[in-house]
Amino acid sequence: MLAPALALVLVFILVPIGIAGYLSLTDWDGFTPRPGFVGWENYRRIFDDEPLVQAAVVTLVIAVVGTLFANALGLGMALLVDGPGRFKSLARGALFYPYIIGAVIIGFLWSAILGSNGAVNSVLKALGGAGIPFLAEPSWALVSLVLVIIWANFGVTMVLYLAGLQTLPGELMEAALIDGASTWQTFWRVKFALLAPVVTINLVLTMISLLRTYELVLALTAGGPAGTTQTITYYILTISFANGKLGYGAAQAVLLMIVILVVTVALTAMRRRAERDVAA
Amino acid sequence: MRVIRTSILTVAGAVMLAPLYLLVVNSFKSQQDIMERPFSFLVHLSPSYLWDALTAPTYNVVRGYLVTAGFVIGVGLLCLLVTIPAAYVVARGMRRAHRVALMIMLAGLFIPSQVLVIPVVYVLRSIGLMGTVPGFLLFETTLTIPVSVFLFTGFIQTIPRQLDEAARIDGASRFRILVQVIVPLMRPAIATVVVLNAVSVWADFVNPQIILGPASGIYTVTTGVYAAIGQFSTNFAAVYPNLLLAIAPVFVFFVFMQRHIISGLTSGALKG
Repeated sequence: MLAPALALVLVFILVPIGIAGYLSLTDWDGFTPRPGFVGWENYRRIFDDEPLVQAAVVTLVIAVVGTLFANALGLGMALLVDGPGRFKSLARGALFYPYIIGAVIIGFLWSAILGSNGAVNSVLKALGGAGIPFLAEPSWALVSLVLVIIWANFGVTMVLYLAGLQTLPGELMEAALIDGASTWQTFWRVKFALLAPVVTINLVLTMISLLRTYELVLALTAGGPAGTTQTITYYILTISFANGKLGYGAAQAVLLMIVILVVTVALTAMRRRAERDVAA
Repeated sequence: MRVIRTSILTVAGAVMLAPLYLLVVNSFKSQQDIMERPFSFLVHLSPSYLWDALTAPTYNVVRGYLVTAGFVIGVGLLCLLVTIPAAYVVARGMRRAHRVALMIMLAGLFIPSQVLVIPVVYVLRSIGLMGTVPGFLLFETTLTIPVSVFLFTGFIQTIPRQLDEAARIDGASRFRILVQVIVPLMRPAIATVVVLNAVSVWADFVNPQIILGPASGIYTVTTGVYAAIGQFSTNFAAVYPNLLLAIAPVFVFFVFMQRHIISGLTSGALKG
């Protein structure tokens, strides 16, 4: 009963990873049947490739800032919409819906809103202002990108925090309140502490998904202006893949996988301490 | 406290829903009205722009719906067929080999599918499935395995083993125990996995774009929208209606099923 699942994972995940490892040591262009072996050359090139280093910085900014804000907002909103009631149910839907729309549509929609001739700038210009280069100026574009990412992602973390809140035993909060703790204290000392495992899951999941941000960049800024909002996956797929530098792209892909693995392990290890405090 | 809560949620809700409002209202307006008064609904509204997008010769929206829905159903079914038995074996297994098998199936959690697709193209080409629907379905199903197996394994471990043993004493085969005893109890977890997979397949862009490609002529909703709108398009009277058409089916689904979607995600998500 295990065989079909294992076979699929083998053929479409493990073997391709091996192939990526092999291709990363070659100069394959996507067509030649026999790629030439170039050793570690591709990996050496990565650190001298300025646009790629910049893409790494952009990805890091997105992952760190996006993860922190998506989780802080997600947890805060979860506390506000937890419980029964029509208004809360509506609010849950309104905060969560970007998740089901998908990143390509979200990117196009926000670019129609924030672009030079978009909805917001049309209004600003009609009011006699100069307009704001949300997507047209490098630093603004990065800020806009991160804000849209937070807008699109905190709803998912909120839903997971809601799930966590529902598993908390109500008696503990009551006991704390009876013992004279303030609402603030019950939140930090009881709720937040008990949520530690959920916080870990959420941080890891958000971080992993933001480290691979691609579709939103493609639809919102197309990496621009002048390549300043390219992420690593965007760079790999649009520069390396489209330009027939698959060996080089494979080397970047292998590095990205390693980074994601290291970040996941490191985050989990860091959070284990917080979780142990709960158990104690 | 209540006032603060209500006002925060109202502001947050407005920020979240404003893009949706713009999307809907501008889908019925002319380019000039969109440019001059994007936020207003007090202009001439006409369904003709939606109709134009629906009947555009470049990309058939209805066909995009059908293709994408077919992919959602196909991947959803394949995923359940493959992952439920695997998760059952692993969850009930005692041997070291079972733990290794679980680790192998979870490995994909750390692999960004956007870059995995590059060597997958190499694999698909060598087995002759590049650019074909079966090739796409198999890869897309594989991408659902890690999360699905993870959730199912965790869920099955909460079902008492005594149920299996009672059925076995009654003479049921292993397969029958799974189908008639375990699967009916897995309904919440199955709901979660079905929702997660449906959303991820419906919204997927990279895999249909690269594996099926424009050359195959098979467009999903997302690759169709990408082809229709292209980059930097400023013909808003075409952009907004296309985007609205792209999200309309999922949105209707979400509005009617919101309670089940969110509770499905929450009930299954943290059992593992």
